[in-house]
Amino acid sequence: MKTIISILLIAILFTSCEKTVDLKYKGNTSKIIIEGNITNEAAPYFVKITKSVSLTATGNYPTIDNAVVTISDNAGNNETLTPISNGMYRTNTLTGVTGRTYTLTVNAEGQTYTAQSAMPQQIRLDSIKAEQTTFGGDVEYNIIPVYTDPIAKGNSYRFELTVNNKLVNQHFVQNDEVVNGAVNAERLQVDDNTLKLKAGDTLTLKMQCIDKNVALYYTTLALIGDSGPGGGTTPNNPPTNISNGALGIFSAHTVATKKVTLR
Amino acid sequence: MISIKYIKKLLFCVLLISFVPLLSISQTFTVSGTVKEKASGETLTGASVGIVEKPKVGVTTNEYGFYSLSLPKGKYTLRISFVGRKEELIPIQLDSSIVVGISLTDASAMGEVVITAKKRSDILTKASMGTEVLDMKTAAKIPVVFGEKDLVKTIQLLPGVKNNGEGTNGFSVRGGATDQNLIILDEAPVYNASHMLGIFSTFNSDAIKDATIIKGNSPAQFGGRLSSVLDVKMKDGNNKKYQVSGGLGLISSRLTVEGPIQKEKSSFIISGRRTYADMIARLSPDFKGLKLYFYDINAKANLTINSKNKLFFSGYFGKDELGISSAFGSKWGNTTGTLRWNSIISRKLFSNTSFIYSNYDFNVGFTTGGNTTNFNSNIKDLNLKQDFTFYPNSKNTIRFGFNAINHTITPTKAEGTNILSTKKGRKALENAVYAGNSWKASDKVNIDYGLRFSFYNVLGGDTYNVYKDNQLAQSIQLEKGKVGKTYYNFEPRFSMSYNLNNTTNLKMGYARNTQNLHLMSNSTGGSPTDQWIGNSYNIKPEIADQVSLGFNKLLNNNKYELSAETYYKVMQNQVDYRDGVDINTTPDIEKELLYGKGRAYGVEVLLKKKTGKLTGWVGYTLSKTERQINGINNGQWYNAKQDRTHDLSIVGVYELSKRWTLSGTFIYTTGNAVTFPTGKYILNGMTIYQYGNRNADRMTATHRLDLSATYERPTKKRFQSSWSFGLYNAYGRQNPFSITFRENKTNPQKIDAVQTSLFRWIPSVTYNFKF
Repeated sequence: MKTIISILLIAILFTSCEKTVDLKYKGNTSKIIIEGNITNEAAPYFVKITKSVSLTATGNYPTIDNAVVTISDNAGNNETLTPISNGMYRTNTLTGVTGRTYTLTVNAEGQTYTAQSAMPQQIRLDSIKAEQTTFGGDVEYNIIPVYTDPIAKGNSYRFELTVNNKLVNQHFVQNDEVVNGAVNAERLQVDDNTLKLKAGDTLTLKMQCIDKNVALYYTTLALIGDSGPGGGTTPNNPPTNISNGALGIFSAHTVATKKVTLR
Repeated sequence: MISIKYIKKLLFCVLLISFVPLLSISQTFTVSGTVKEKASGETLTGASVGIVEKPKVGVTTNEYGFYSLSLPKGKYTLRISFVGRKEELIPIQLDSSIVVGISLTDASAMGEVVITAKKRSDILTKASMGTEVLDMKTAAKIPVVFGEKDLVKTIQLLPGVKNNGEGTNGFSVRGGATDQNLIILDEAPVYNASHMLGIFSTFNSDAIKDATIIKGNSPAQFGGRLSSVLDVKMKDGNNKKYQVSGGLGLISSRLTVEGPIQKEKSSFIISGRRTYADMIARLSPDFKGLKLYFYDINAKANLTINSKNKLFFSGYFGKDELGISSAFGSKWGNTTGTLRWNSIISRKLFSNTSFIYSNYDFNVGFTTGGNTTNFNSNIKDLNLKQDFTFYPNSKNTIRFGFNAINHTITPTKAEGTNILSTKKGRKALENAVYAGNSWKASDKVNIDYGLRFSFYNVLGGDTYNVYKDNQLAQSIQLEKGKVGKTYYNFEPRFSMSYNLNNTTNLKMGYARNTQNLHLMSNSTGGSPTDQWIGNSYNIKPEIADQVSLGFNKLLNNNKYELSAETYYKVMQNQVDYRDGVDINTTPDIEKELLYGKGRAYGVEVLLKKKTGKLTGWVGYTLSKTERQINGINNGQWYNAKQDRTHDLSIVGVYELSKRWTLSGTFIYTTGNAVTFPTGKYILNGMTIYQYGNRNADRMTATHRLDLSATYERPTKKRFQSSWSFGLYNAYGRQNPFSITFRENKTNPQKIDAVQTSLFRWIPSVTYNFKF
């Protein structure tokens, strides 16, 4: 319902203004961050293990390079990943297959972390629709991924948006909770305060079919994104499928990509 | 299950307790009647009716201006007083029961300074605690944003009542949530009391007589919310002459017509408002499809059937609309209607019967990719109230009665292209029987006590899911007309005052309140799309127990009134929901709910100056409010979002001359409790923030000075007019509306905290007229 607030801000509160403020932040407990992806694209797949830093820190993120990382699937495959430095671990034999459930185990700094994710069936991304709207003299774009949701309920989709080869730091998740089994017409909830799209921009949209837990993780991030009174929920670390207090997400998903240039 | 028979028995017990003081009845006669304002014939609520010869005896008029006093045979002088009106002294000879109607004259209209110094203040003569009454005369001169005088905004300047911040809905009382305030307009609940996301309240001040806020220690006739009662009463309309009044402002205008139906007997009032900011904006081609306005209409009529019976009808209709072209549109609004029948059954017994209708709905629609999607929700009440006021003798005033509400609550559901919605409206009955007594126990002691017995029935017509640890445990298909889960609660209410001397008293109170309706909000500040849900098989009634202690003193020859109250409140069965849930689209919100408890405590100090050229008050609150919800913040206690340590407001009105009045308000409040990130990490190429404890951080403090000046033009024949000039946020403080975090454009490793502020230097001009 962020739109309501936005319109109000634009249309009547001409006086609203933004400024950067200095805040005092509470101390941060550095946590292990696990990022794991298995897709239906060609191998290899990667797991990345880093640590979080305090909000005001600059410089590189600490990495963990001596962890033991294994991935298994429910078809009896199992392998230990090869560390390739920079906190990265690579698969050698595993292939991502839709319908399979993958289990990740990470042994790092004396702790064991596990996670499970199931790769849903692939849904085709047919095209990207870009609708123009004008309001207050500004031209804005509604970006609509066109795909056909299957009749069976419980599908979730995540989108990574790249504009002119730059990844947009916003989270987009759609599901079939409201509209099921139809061609999608819902736009991506782009925060146009921080992303102004214009004619000539090249958009790359990567659609991932994700399981419920992964969807919950990214939906929480998307809801936090609308933060502030009048929009958004109280922020928190999103619920993850990784055990033992690690942050991050392990996601087995399908990938479909389309490109469009705005006119 | 408790049968109806058992309930009747309970009611009988409740009544019995209240009637104990009647056992000592001697031969007395009764003087009763109605107190009105002379010029308009409006009845006055809360006017003091006392006996000069017996300074300890007295009553205050009820909501309909009615009073009744029983005394032994004799000669007396009635003393009737009310804020801003000239005191009246009326000699009476009481050798039989008599009716004495009283009219008070507006003191300021006569060019006199209001003299109340001689009169003992209400704070010393009543046991009630945490109660403030504001009438329109006070609120009219206090500056507000866009120059629209607003009673509800003014009430938020009192200690213990906190506005949730600029541009947000609602307010918080003594650490309670926004939904824990019972807001009633002529007895009808108003489920969303703000227009335009909180810039205006739903109450058109031209149609309002007065408003009372009770901060938790309410008498037994009120119930249903944990934190407060905001009781707003509409004017009855002038029953002596026709009158038109109105105001023209920069973004809104109002018009009110009132007059007699039968002279001095019956009257009507119709009042309307509309904003037109969008009409101006639409002149620019850039904003062609813009819709951004609200309007509301208040109407009321009363009819005197005979000297003992009177009918009132009052209605409210309001609508907000917000939209851009066909791509996005939203509408929301309240409708209420109240039909009341006042009956003076005997000189000692006053009855009021009310039939009340209340409805709130919202609709948000989107069109994208050729598909339309609408989200809508609705809460509708049919309500029957029967209330008796019984004046057995000069020491006791007894209220008893019952209330039955039929709720129909439709949770937010989606409609539109390719949407198959399965959500249905649910019905429930919310009932209460109550009795209470105001007892003048001695010269020094006043005691109010009562008991409210409330019960809530889930009604059939839908399937109710029962969840255990957020997993479906059972599905109950409850047939239409069947009664399902039922909850019972006893709510004792008690308050007592003890007068140390003529200028000082101490008060103490305890109250239990329960709440059967709960508001789920999808934002931290409140939004029209927040949805109400009732008790169910999972959701239990919220319960709050509050104890409070008070100290009141009149200073400097009664020119100043100092009151201090401290409270401690515990809350059970508080409801919240899990992270990552979109409450509008989730199939069953009850699956996502989390439960816990709350506590709130604080000290409130209020220093008022009611007389002289300079009037106003200073209010200060020091408080804390916390929650503990299983599944949030690792089950540890955390600050509720409305927790603010310090809250200061200063209100001053200065009568410069007969024509000019200057006024100003200053507020300072600690920032809301919020959660800032503590750390960060990279995931799939994106920066993600890490959070620590919930609501452990603070927004920057809010402070602001608002000024206003009113010029009353000389009256020409009947035509009165005035100009009001206002400046909101006079020194242009950038108060925080929200703080967001983003990567610095030049150095993405650095995270910027970006604060958005709304209103700076909002000037306003309003022209008011009356003829």
